[in-house]
Amino acid sequence: MVPVSIQVRQALSKLVLPVLLLMSVGIIIAGQADRPLADRARMRVADVLAPLWGLLSRTQTDSQRFVHGIQEARNLAEENHRLIAENANLRRWYDVAVSLARENDALKTELHWVPEPTPAFVTGRVVADSGGIYARAVLLVAGTTSGVQAGNIALASSGLAGRVTEVGAHAARILLITDIASRLPVELESSHAAAIMVGDNSPLPRLLYYSQDTRPIEGERVVTSDQAGAFPSGIPIGSVHYLHPGQPVVQPFARLDRLTMLRVFDFGQSEIEPPEAPGHVPLTRPHRALTLPFKTLLGPGQEG
Amino acid sequence: MSDPHQPRWEHDTGTQLTSRQRLDRTARHLLPSVFTALVIIFFSGPLTVPGAAELLPAIVINTIFFWSVWRPSGMPSLAVFLLGLFMDLVGFTPLGVSAFILLLVHGIGSYARFGLMRMNFLVVWCLFGLVGAAAAALQWALACLFRLHLLDPAPAFFEALLCIGVYPLLSATFSWFLHILDEKDAP
Repeated sequence: MVPVSIQVRQALSKLVLPVLLLMSVGIIIAGQADRPLADRARMRVADVLAPLWGLLSRTQTDSQRFVHGIQEARNLAEENHRLIAENANLRRWYDVAVSLARENDALKTELHWVPEPTPAFVTGRVVADSGGIYARAVLLVAGTTSGVQAGNIALASSGLAGRVTEVGAHAARILLITDIASRLPVELESSHAAAIMVGDNSPLPRLLYYSQDTRPIEGERVVTSDQAGAFPSGIPIGSVHYLHPGQPVVQPFARLDRLTMLRVFDFGQSEIEPPEAPGHVPLTRPHRALTLPFKTLLGPGQEG
Repeated sequence: MSDPHQPRWEHDTGTQLTSRQRLDRTARHLLPSVFTALVIIFFSGPLTVPGAAELLPAIVINTIFFWSVWRPSGMPSLAVFLLGLFMDLVGFTPLGVSAFILLLVHGIGSYARFGLMRMNFLVVWCLFGLVGAAAAALQWALACLFRLHLLDPAPAFFEALLCIGVYPLLSATFSWFLHILDEKDAP
């Protein structure tokens, strides 16, 4: 070390501050003149400090989670009380349901009720339909190999979606209830009045041909009707809504614009044949030759 | 004014100092700078604390002012310069601006220290308030100058207020700390 006198050292120490001030001014000017250099220096410092900051932010999130956990624990007692009350309520309803089911069973036994067959169903994934003759139809990845047949009924999770119109080996086309070609017999649930639901390619199919003395009521549930034998009765479709006075439409329960999965039910409806009656002309079925019951039209003993 | 000079002189004569004592002294001298550096790293990190961007310069200005007045050996000019440069590098102020401002604060503190040390706490607080407000205003003015665009003065105002408001808390903490150090030194 260079030996310097105390006076010189004092003078030097007084000079340090002005020199540093001048240096900082110089750095300001240099930083303004050469911005990329300043940015590179910044990035290098940030690179070195990044692990530290990562540690900091992780500690922060951990502590926040800890505080959140404590708050959750404080709410736990309250939540527990609520759940206990709800559980008691639900248990009461469970008892009610069990007793109602027993009563229902007993009444059905009294009436010699013929049980309805449990319908078989297959579930398939919906893939978008790009072609075809229908505007509102979807393609389902489930075909005849899975047991799907034309005329089966496709249900979304919350309501009726449509009917199977064409089947391939591995795919089925489903005509949605919003398509312009779709006309379904429906029933208004509260009045049990019949109507026809007509699709018009809009998201809300219209209700037509309802009797004028039982008009659809706003918000009324619309379910399928078993008239014409195409559907079993009581499948939920949607609720009535009036777009304009005198123009009721159905708001479908199923979200038909974003279908992902559909269940295809085979209710075995096509096998129900009405018993033949005198004067009754049965419906033409494609797989059956037309056999008119002329014999029954003739009087007994006149044949031959 | 020979205070920064003192340790060196002592070191020359006090050859009997053990290495442990020397280490202790070095640590004591470095402590304020290290504290400030840690504060800078902490507050420039990804914090969700509201107003962290304004709180950082406020705390740094406070720390530098306090140590410049009460114990300049703990806050030499070179350390102030390096801290300011570091703050510029991790922050988004133009390079060198913080160093310049902090050096000015340090210069004012160490120039007026003998006057300030005799004064009442409230008076010192008021004077520091002026210094802090001037520092915030200078920072705002320099930022405007380098962007060539009149910036919103609200953050600078907020920073000045934080600077003034945080002073009693930090001052009390540092005074307590100095007291402990001196007590440890005495026996």
